[in-house]
Amino acid sequence: MYKIDENKIKAGLDVLNSHKDSKLTTHLNSCVRCGLCAKSCLYYIATNDERFIPARKVELVSAIYRRYFTLIGKTMPGLINARKLDENTIFEMVDLLYGACVMCGRCVKHCSIGVDIEYVVRKGREMLAEMGYVPESLQSTVKAALETGNNMGISHEDFVDTIEWMEEELQDDCDDPDARIPLNEPGKKVLYTLNPREPKFFPLSISAMAKVFYAAKESWTLSTNMYDVTNYAYFSSHPGEAKTIAQRIYDEIHKMKAKRLVLAECGHGVRANRWEAPNYIEKEFPFDVITSVEIIAEYIKERRIKPDKEIITDKVTLHDPCNLVRGSGVMHEQRYILKNCVKDFVEMTPNGADNFCCGGGGGQLAMSEYNDRRLSIAEIKAEQIRKTGASVVVTPCHNCIDQLSQINVTYKLNVHIKTLAEIVADALPINNMLNDK
Amino acid sequence: MEWYYWIAIASLVICITGCIYHFIKLIKPGSPTDYSKKSGSTKSGIIYSFTHAMNPINKESAFLNLPTYISGVIYHLGTFLSIVLFFVFFITTNLHELISLLLAAFLLLSALCGAVMLIKRITDKKLRHLSNPDDYISNILVTLFQLGSGAVMFIPGLYPVYMVIASLLLLYIPLGKLKHVIYFFAARYHIGYYYGWRNVWPTAKFK
Repeated sequence: MYKIDENKIKAGLDVLNSHKDSKLTTHLNSCVRCGLCAKSCLYYIATNDERFIPARKVELVSAIYRRYFTLIGKTMPGLINARKLDENTIFEMVDLLYGACVMCGRCVKHCSIGVDIEYVVRKGREMLAEMGYVPESLQSTVKAALETGNNMGISHEDFVDTIEWMEEELQDDCDDPDARIPLNEPGKKVLYTLNPREPKFFPLSISAMAKVFYAAKESWTLSTNMYDVTNYAYFSSHPGEAKTIAQRIYDEIHKMKAKRLVLAECGHGVRANRWEAPNYIEKEFPFDVITSVEIIAEYIKERRIKPDKEIITDKVTLHDPCNLVRGSGVMHEQRYILKNCVKDFVEMTPNGADNFCCGGGGGQLAMSEYNDRRLSIAEIKAEQIRKTGASVVVTPCHNCIDQLSQINVTYKLNVHIKTLAEIVADALPINNMLNDK
Repeated sequence: MEWYYWIAIASLVICITGCIYHFIKLIKPGSPTDYSKKSGSTKSGIIYSFTHAMNPINKESAFLNLPTYISGVIYHLGTFLSIVLFFVFFITTNLHELISLLLAAFLLLSALCGAVMLIKRITDKKLRHLSNPDDYISNILVTLFQLGSGAVMFIPGLYPVYMVIASLLLLYIPLGKLKHVIYFFAARYHIGYYYGWRNVWPTAKFK
């Protein structure tokens, strides 16, 4: 242990001393430590370790608040457990706020008082980020995004090569040599984004979404300059870095003169761009921001695409990404799509707004320091999947895809993990598209 | 007027002043500014937050911990009743015998719930880990206040002791976790506003 620089302490405390609105003050003063949130948290359920109770995480941050910003905390800290922001506290904060919270918000929904636990965790992370204590692996992901324009550090050449390869796949799949994946075409209606995991590891999901756009005759483009839907600074909770990343998409859509920003299948990307980005840059967006899930549902509803549910006969279940259901209110669209695309759809229990996180949320997949913990809490999701008896798990989130793929191997589930666009693309009969041409 | 009345009145004034301070601190900055495009209804979200979202059927923390939840509800009802009686006792402690008996029986039950929760906090490893002196002090003061409210209707000699307990409680409310009497409403407002804005509450709508 070493002595913390006073300026760092000040930077951390300044986060708690914000008087922008009463939200932070409210949530730092509301928890009654009833502990009833314990059974809503993956970490506590899986480990029975009381350190992981959500209220404990809130207590860590509010104890610091009490120590520096309340009269009784300053005069009689022992009475109300008011805690100094020292090396021990910081060590515990890093371990619990970064390493033991997926920021899924499940505890928030079930808190008997209504404490926004996830918000307090984010504020705690923001304190650590301002003091320079973001776990190295997470910070390197943010750094890659800041320095290269995407969190995987994919070069421009590699990206263009991958897109050209996927365009060939699309042409084969649609049996149409004119089928395209447009790059850098201004004036199109839709600017589509990608999770960099797609060009790097799962390129077929790009051609799948391109097939959906092709079938819907959408006017769309990708930008080689800024296509990354993720914002890992949302997880590290560094407002300055999050703002820089958010600003890039804002600038790019203006440059491309697009009317709609369509966010790829990425839970936190949806949250970071749709809900947080306007607040990071403190501007209302003069364009539509919607998820690919919503636009696909819109296509089916308007009969712009006509999936055939007889094609996919496997039993299919759905994993709800937390940031989409609890964080964005997108809950029925994915079900509507699946009911139109597959014959045998079965829900997990619980599902929707009560669903359990896959275990990869909150930036956990980017923090290799906590890999063992991340996979041990995933047992809950593994059991949920096993109980459905499904052979295919669909999820509209690349982060979840990654974690579910690891769960699949670790817990020997023997299932196929797919994105929603992949399922829709599989359910689109080629003949149907050719006839519509 | 007896000395204990004066102590109780002074404590009440301090308590109200402290609560007003917290209340002003909450309302002064106003509602959060959100630059994102609203997807649902904040009004419906807030209403839902105070109604259906509190329903034990919709709240896992309640239906998975039903005995604790019910104890908590009874305990809070006992507290509200005790506060009402505190003001009534300034006028009279001589209530109708049957009413006194019913009120005392309920207060005994609610104090018992408080005592059980206190024992649980001491014995349950998980809760003990979460707790600090504030949790024990708050529980003991409220439980004694409820017991005192019930007892004083039948044992008038306890009146000075009851008033001292009430005064200690009133002085403690703005300092410790009992101030959730104010922050609870603010928390439910904020959470309703947040989920309402994002179309999560009342229930997500298919657009």
